[in-house]
Amino acid sequence: MRVLVVDDEPLSRRGVCLRLARHADIAWVRECGDGESALALLRDTPVDVAFLDVRMPGISGFDLLDRLPPASRPLAVMLTAYDQYALRAFEAAAVDYLLKPIDDGRFEEALARVRMRLGGAPVVDAAQAAPVRCFTARIGHRDVVVRVDDVEWIEASGDYVGLHVGAKTHLVRQTMQQIEQALDGRRFVRIHRSTIVRLDRVAELEALSNRDCMVRLHDGTLVRASRSYVDGLRAALGL
Amino acid sequence: MTATAALAARHPPDARLPVWMIVLAGSPIVLCMAIMGLPELADDHAAAFRVLFALTYLAWSVPIAIVQRHLWRKVPAWALVAVMLAATYACSIVNNVLAQVLSMHWGRTPNFTWARNLSGLDGCWLALIAFCAIHAMVAHAHELRAARERVREAEGLARDAELRALRYQMHPHFLFNPLNAISALVTERRNDDATRMLSTLGDLLRATLESGHLHEVSLADELATTQLYLDIEKVRLGDRLGLDVKAGPDVLRARVPSLLIQPLVENAIRHGIARLREPGRLGVQVSRDGERLRIVVTNDGPPTEPRGVGQAIGLANVRERLSRLYGDRQHVDLDLAAQGGCRVEIVMPFQAAAPRETV
Repeated sequence: MRVLVVDDEPLSRRGVCLRLARHADIAWVRECGDGESALALLRDTPVDVAFLDVRMPGISGFDLLDRLPPASRPLAVMLTAYDQYALRAFEAAAVDYLLKPIDDGRFEEALARVRMRLGGAPVVDAAQAAPVRCFTARIGHRDVVVRVDDVEWIEASGDYVGLHVGAKTHLVRQTMQQIEQALDGRRFVRIHRSTIVRLDRVAELEALSNRDCMVRLHDGTLVRASRSYVDGLRAALGL
Repeated sequence: MTATAALAARHPPDARLPVWMIVLAGSPIVLCMAIMGLPELADDHAAAFRVLFALTYLAWSVPIAIVQRHLWRKVPAWALVAVMLAATYACSIVNNVLAQVLSMHWGRTPNFTWARNLSGLDGCWLALIAFCAIHAMVAHAHELRAARERVREAEGLARDAELRALRYQMHPHFLFNPLNAISALVTERRNDDATRMLSTLGDLLRATLESGHLHEVSLADELATTQLYLDIEKVRLGDRLGLDVKAGPDVLRARVPSLLIQPLVENAIRHGIARLREPGRLGVQVSRDGERLRIVVTNDGPPTEPRGVGQAIGLANVRERLSRLYGDRQHVDLDLAAQGGCRVEIVMPFQAAAPRETV
């Protein structure tokens, strides 16, 4: 993947580049400190994805996209400290936008979206066999079996994942990714990088001012759905 | 828009009544003149004279109104009265002259005499004096109403500013602890935790600053902001902080003052859970009871010290803002258990926020 990072602040560029360096499929990264030089570079160098700061002296991130012929426009991930650019990013058909300070989880989500757009099949295990029925959680020295049917929602908690069953929370040493793949996608839906809910536990959705969503479960628990998952959740609920 | 600009935009410098409205207010006088003329109807030409006086009255009322409007509040009242009396008298004399000429034309009056013209009050003078009086009354009433409106508006702006100031008291408080915690995380080289906390803090600041121009937000937004704050505290306190945030059906769209719950939760942690050696629980329950919204914040805490409780800036501030926004229709109760722990209950009117259009 060929990546261009455009931001007028060197430290901010550095932050993006360091996060990109964790990925093996990203071998080519260029940096530009302003819109003009990025424009010059993009005119004769093909780039797959550009991380664009919105507010820069001279040409802004959005202007930069506008000035490029559609054919040579890279996929864009906007970087901004201001939430009000969300709608604009949406209109400019940006793949995603990231708020500063950048959250690692959100950064990974944005990259996953880029990969999907670039046509790389989503990394799904071929062994998408029958979903698991139980998890084993460790309490002290003994293992407890937690039936998937009893789990109402799941939350990331450090190196563990918390399975919520009624008022109890069972900790399982797995990643959200592993858990998500082990579950039946028709019953459990990821709504946030750190939250999965069981669909039949969802009682209410209320949109938030930043396009995220507040989700109320039947027992009154409140969990947050981030904007990149809201559409999926609505679709799964048949809304 | 600044307060003065807002005032100026709604109240242009010329707040006087338009002339046509004054003339309209004086128009019933024509009717009075017609009724006063009824006894003379036997006379052949009485109707013609009455029509002449009515038309001349209407014609004079426009310049008279303009003069009075121009002098209004610019000269002392006695001078205005004198000027208007003189002006209307002059108009009346012109009328009388016209009437006498007409009378000579019909052969009713043998010759022209100034004496009759100067003394005759019936022509139009009384009517025009009445018109000037009506003008003065209408203008005065208009001024009173405009003044009342300005006062109301000023009160609204003052209330706005007070609410804003009260809300700004809240901002800096929740910044320092997280910043300190982040610096500790960096020192410990727990980079992932540090960056996660920084981005959460960024979200929290955005959420509180963005609601900066709003006094009220949806409960869902307020709870989301509170949750961001709790996410940060959770990193700081770890297992010492147990959370139980629950909402009943159909409350998330309720309209509440922005930063209503967050300061209460901050107090609960600062004065309660953070002072405990063992893990403590913090609960937030929101429910709806018909037209009332009930918010209950409970927390564990050390046995109470008699002083300083309830004086916390957060609670006083919340009380103040609620009473300004909802008057008597709200109350805030604070219960301190002797063995430790605290319960704050807010009851306020349930008002649904405008539905947000989905993008």
